[in-house]
Amino acid sequence: MASFPSLKTSAVTQYPAAKAVKFQNQVVRFVDGTEQRYRDCAGPLRQWVIRLSELDETEMATLEQFLVSNQGSLGNFSFTDPWDKQTYSNCSFADDAMNLTSIEEMRGNTSVTVQENRAQP
Amino acid sequence: MSVYPQLVSGVMSQFPIVKQRRMRTVVNAAADGSSIKLADPAGATVGWQLRYANLSDTELAALQQFFTAMEGSLNSFTFLDPVANLLAWSEDLTNAVWQAAPFLTLSGDAPDSLGGRNAWRLANSGEGAQTLTQVLNAPACYTYCFSVYAFSSQPVTIRLQLGSNSAQAALNSRWSRVQISGTGDATASSIEFGIELPAGATVNVFGPQVEAQPAPSAYKTGTTGGVYASARFRDDAFTLTSTDVNHHAATVNILYANSL
Repeated sequence: MASFPSLKTSAVTQYPAAKAVKFQNQVVRFVDGTEQRYRDCAGPLRQWVIRLSELDETEMATLEQFLVSNQGSLGNFSFTDPWDKQTYSNCSFADDAMNLTSIEEMRGNTSVTVQENRAQP
Repeated sequence: MSVYPQLVSGVMSQFPIVKQRRMRTVVNAAADGSSIKLADPAGATVGWQLRYANLSDTELAALQQFFTAMEGSLNSFTFLDPVANLLAWSEDLTNAVWQAAPFLTLSGDAPDSLGGRNAWRLANSGEGAQTLTQVLNAPACYTYCFSVYAFSSQPVTIRLQLGSNSAQAALNSRWSRVQISGTGDATASSIEFGIELPAGATVNVFGPQVEAQPAPSAYKTGTTGGVYASARFRDDAFTLTSTDVNHHAATVNILYANSL
């Protein structure tokens, strides 16, 4: 399985980096004010927002090519969480689009969001 | 074939350039958080925002005339991506887009100059020169630069081809980036780029790249190439600002859609 590409520095992301963990719970509220909560999913899903700047053309092209190879959000790849180094094997782009801005030579920036997918039962 | 005009300096655009690559995926999201996805390749688009500054009267007139000739977003034209490698499959030299001469042996997975393993070893076992070429359906009258990283354990001189032009490049045992710049036949609608190895030569190559500009930029990998044969202006209006005598600014949005 393909892995999310790292930069020339071997880093995956730059500051500011954002990470989210999302649960999916349901709440049933009763007329007496009490409530009952239950899990509506098999476990949490993670999401990483990767903002990259000061990229050179090689790094920009590698990221763009990775989006093309995955056909946007269709394909799956493994992603190593830069916070704890844990590898999540079933991830994909959250969006089908990628904006690449070349400010000047050897100075590009982009932003992508990677999300963990839940495996089909 | 209508082609988007180059500036007088021989480049396609100026910085900053914004490019948007958009694919299309149909997603059926289930209640448990899982999803079923289907690809829709026909829905993919590529867009560019080109911001020009300090254009001369001549350059502005060329842009305006081209926009008028295309009648805004009505007609399509060939656009060369200014931030891409125009060659397709630059790291798979056995792909069908490349034409290798019969006595040229290609073997991949060799160490490259950027620390990866995307270089190729080309060996010419023939009695004469052998070539590896790719033809681009792009206007030959443009200014192009063809560059490639190469080395050979034995001193050898290879030949780089750009249309009908060629240049020799002497290689030694260290990686070096060799290049050729120029224009092709003014009336041709395609142009061929390639490497020619003399008889008996073995050369490692990496990162062949063609750009529509006089000098190479950093190597850019790619499978799709950068020639878009039916691009269009996104907008029907062309707005310009004259900042001084013979100094003009304009922003152009270009769109390419697989489905058009």
